[in-house]
Amino acid sequence: MTILLLILTILPLVCSIAIKVAFIPASEGIAISGAHIFFTIDLPFGGLPITESQVNSWAVLLSLFFLCLFLTHGMKTKNIGVRQIIAEFIVEKVEGLVRSSMGEMFMGFGPFIAAIMGLSAMTSLQSLLGLYPATSDLNVVSGWAILVFILITYYKMKAGPLYYLKGFTEPIPVMTPMNIIGEIATPVSMALRHYGNVISGFVISILIGTALSGASSLIFGWLPGALGGYLLRIGLPAIFSIYFDLFSGCLQAFIFAMLTMNYVSSAFPADEYFRRKALKKARLEAKNIK
Amino acid sequence: MNNLDVISLNIWQILISLANLAILFFLFKRFLFKPVKEILAKRESEIQAEYDKAEKATDEANEIKASWEEKMKTADDKADEIIKNAVEKADRRSEVMLYESREKAESIIRKAKAEAERDKRDAQETIKQEIVGVSAAISEKIIGREINMDDHKDLIDSFIDNMEEA
Repeated sequence: MTILLLILTILPLVCSIAIKVAFIPASEGIAISGAHIFFTIDLPFGGLPITESQVNSWAVLLSLFFLCLFLTHGMKTKNIGVRQIIAEFIVEKVEGLVRSSMGEMFMGFGPFIAAIMGLSAMTSLQSLLGLYPATSDLNVVSGWAILVFILITYYKMKAGPLYYLKGFTEPIPVMTPMNIIGEIATPVSMALRHYGNVISGFVISILIGTALSGASSLIFGWLPGALGGYLLRIGLPAIFSIYFDLFSGCLQAFIFAMLTMNYVSSAFPADEYFRRKALKKARLEAKNIK
Repeated sequence: MNNLDVISLNIWQILISLANLAILFFLFKRFLFKPVKEILAKRESEIQAEYDKAEKATDEANEIKASWEEKMKTADDKADEIIKNAVEKADRRSEVMLYESREKAESIIRKAKAEAERDKRDAQETIKQEIVGVSAAISEKIIGREINMDDHKDLIDSFIDNMEEA
């Protein structure tokens, strides 16, 4: 059972590698383009292209789902195993992070923050497997940023829609256009930050790979066969990849999660909300007494 | 090449990605956070139960200890009382014995004294009788001669002198 779940965790990633190998023609030289389109479903507003980034993020989704099952199945209260220790560690760390940066009221955000971190980090780290990192597709991170924007707006509306609209005219009514731009800038900046960081790492990786290939054939060109063209490409790109894929990917995931927590918790007008709540309660009690 | 542009936006792709994050949120909530939190709560309650049990056991042990100490104290008291009673009894008995023995000794002494007195009186009686006898003999001797008062007086005096000397 345990081994089956572990296999199921790894299988989606293996499948996406297989799909890439089977359907995507290898490109030589410098070719910086977006995700490969497998096919397009006819829909209004430009149709839905099923792309590499979609497939890869679904693979991550499935993989994370089976990872959860793998970590949490057969949990005990005593004599816990390594899997359970990891699961408890993840949950406690995420909850601690949420508690310290959002407060006790937002504890329900634990799974959401974990989902952002897991999805973002895993999709970025897919580039280590030679896959197209889904986070370097602007559509993917835009979707996450819009979901965060919806949450921000929802929490801003907690104290009533009128209070929310009034918030745009503060501190003076002239500032209203600025405030609206600032409101929209939040998801846009979040999406572009994440996307830009990942795709820049991706581009730099390709540039380094191509440059090393050129340098290698220049220096070791006298070696027989194709060996000369590949000698410098062994190992060296991996060292750069540690920064541009591993470190940058995890860092961007963390930054995205931290920004989400900050924006959402600061969007919540706590004072106004509790004032209204107390008022409502008092009114209700007065009615009951009557 | 059938690729997307590097920067491209498509509403459906954005929606799918949004839905992906939402789905992962629910998956994490249902399959990671819920079971882990349940197990943590269960462990907490189990530990609490263990603590309660331990506390109860300690309380019971303390109770037993207190009752034993109480018992030990009463036992000490009882032993003290027994010893005291025994000592009292022994004291009384020894007093009685002492008294009895003194009484006996006194009666012996009294008896001895009475005997001595009687002996003394007997001795005096015999002496007197002897004196009478002797004086009668002396009187008989003197009767043979003329009765002389002076002689008689001298005789008795000399006799008593002799007696005293003897």
